[in-house]
Amino acid sequence: MALIQVRNLVKKFDGRDVLKGVSIDLYKGQAKVLMGTSGCGKSTLLRCLNLLVQPTSGQVIFKGEDITLPGVDVRKVRGEIGFVFQHFALYRHLTVEENVTLGLRKIKKIKSREASEKASYELNRVGMFEHRNKYPAQLSGGQKQRAAIVRALAMDPDVLFLDEPTSALDPQMSREVVTVINRLFLDNITMFCVTHDAFLAKYISDSIVFMDDGVIVAEDIAERLFYESADPRIKQFFMSVADHR
Amino acid sequence: MDPFINDLIVYWPQLLAGLERTLILMVIVSLTGLAGGVCVFYLTLVKSSILHKWTEAYISFFIGTPLLVHLFLMYYGLPQLGIRLSALTVAVIGFTLNVSAYNARYLATAYNGLDKEELEAARAQGFKHSETFRLIILPQVMRLSVPSLTNQVIQNLKDTSVAFLIQYHDLFAQIQEIASSNFHFFKAYMTAALVYLALVSIVVLAARRFERFISLPGFETH
Amino acid sequence: MTFPDIMIILARGAGYTILVTIASVSAGLAAGLFLSVLGTLRWKAVSFFLGAYTYVFRSIPVLVLLFLVFFGLPGLGIRISPFVSIVLTLGLISGAYLAEIFRGAMAGVGQDEILAAEASGMNRMQVFLYIIFPQMFRMSIPGMINEFTTVLKYTPFAYTVGIPEIMKEAMSLAVMTLRGLEIYLALGIIYFIIYRLFVMLFMTLEKKYRIPGLAPE
Repeated sequence: MALIQVRNLVKKFDGRDVLKGVSIDLYKGQAKVLMGTSGCGKSTLLRCLNLLVQPTSGQVIFKGEDITLPGVDVRKVRGEIGFVFQHFALYRHLTVEENVTLGLRKIKKIKSREASEKASYELNRVGMFEHRNKYPAQLSGGQKQRAAIVRALAMDPDVLFLDEPTSALDPQMSREVVTVINRLFLDNITMFCVTHDAFLAKYISDSIVFMDDGVIVAEDIAERLFYESADPRIKQFFMSVADHR
Repeated sequence: MDPFINDLIVYWPQLLAGLERTLILMVIVSLTGLAGGVCVFYLTLVKSSILHKWTEAYISFFIGTPLLVHLFLMYYGLPQLGIRLSALTVAVIGFTLNVSAYNARYLATAYNGLDKEELEAARAQGFKHSETFRLIILPQVMRLSVPSLTNQVIQNLKDTSVAFLIQYHDLFAQIQEIASSNFHFFKAYMTAALVYLALVSIVVLAARRFERFISLPGFETH
Repeated sequence: MTFPDIMIILARGAGYTILVTIASVSAGLAAGLFLSVLGTLRWKAVSFFLGAYTYVFRSIPVLVLLFLVFFGLPGLGIRISPFVSIVLTLGLISGAYLAEIFRGAMAGVGQDEILAAEASGMNRMQVFLYIIFPQMFRMSIPGMINEFTTVLKYTPFAYTVGIPEIMKEAMSLAVMTLRGLEIYLALGIIYFIIYRLFVMLFMTLEKKYRIPGLAPE
């Protein structure tokens, strides 16, 4: 059974349909990338899956349980899903290490010392150990995003959601972050990533889902979707993305 | 009729006279305080380091010490040198020194946020220092500080109640007198509170209109 | 009696002044924090109450409220000691100003960070305690210093209800010696010294615990 099963998900904002019946499966160990034009609803879909946005109708089945039903412990679900934001969203008043340990201590109730050991270990894996005592304002964009990824991963989530993780970064810093996410991909971390970045998409995915105007248009491996698709919307999208590079 | 209301009616002329003194003091010190604030602010911009230090010390001293002390110093201290000033004079001098310091601080804060290139542009065009101050700096910092400056007017209105402690017969002093003649202290002070609330509300409304009146594109204060 | 003698005599009363200031600011902080936390609930009735509270207590002069509390309340059968009266008065008023300061600082807390905290599974209480409060508190420091100064400068009113702080000491000394000029000058200097010492203390603490990127304006 899939880790996450989305069935016929609909989201309306002010009478406008942002998601028009989306169904998708994400299996354990799988890495999926969700692509599509701006405003096609991909960030909304991601936020519906951990209920940061409440879907209008449809089902989100996480580990066999429909989490859109009332009475579900939303916070427990969120604690099991790591989330990485476009603009990093590091806590400005905390050091890198404290950013990582806060959730471990307060949500997972791990002792400070163990939390800090775990943080050191995880930070070391992405080359951030030496920056552990810095504050977010003292880091480059790439370092911020690496810290944010560690913050999410340290919670040992069942799945990692990434919302445009490279789009606030310049190409050089973007590479740094792609390298880190690529390593997660090779380690078989379950991931669901929304992005515009074809380079990122290619290096971190088992398959790519293409979305347009609130519906899923295609799902395939990167090469076939990028180069062989006959759908004009998909062709046009990848041409415009290629132009940006 | 409630005897307290009756007393209010009997003492009505006195209350009005008190209200008048309260408003006079507020208006005078709001004007002198604004003028003084602009002067002190001008001095903070002067390059001379000695003058600069003294101006800073002035602002800091008056922001850091109670108004009441300055009033007492002049009202109860100066007669020792043979200088006897009326309560109103003492209040006006004391308030002006205090309010000027605060207003200068507000203007200086607004000045720090100003685009300094504009000032260079003015100098490059050939304006003198005093002209740059009058034509470029002042109109901008005054607009930007309108909320703080109008807040200061409200503060002045409330603080006039302090003047009764140096025998100035303002509104609060008159209400006190009524209270000590009929012993309805709670009702008397409640009345005082409501009157000040009403007065402050009038100033707030006037200030809002004024803010809209002088607002320019790019200088919205809300 | 030389000028330094006067300073020394008056400085002895400074303890009461500092005590009244600290007690009042603490009361004000508690009230301001409570009100700003209430404000985050966004309930209609609550926000009306908050608006009314801040409006009323920012409009009534300190002296009027102090007299209402100390001389007025006994008329309703409520008797409050002089110390409690001044602390209650200054606490209620500075609470209104501090609530506004906290509210302003709260608006500066990163929305992204709040969302991230929610996404990681924190409840509202945790988000407030670990994200909103620490950021808000730091950004409120300049406002809190201003409010502290304001409270310190209103403490001389305590003499009107009979608290033996420095103002009262100065007045009795002036009556006895008839040297008001020197005495009130010395009084001003002592207030200024207390003010500078506290500002220096706060600035040192602020610097010590300053966080890059979170410096208050």
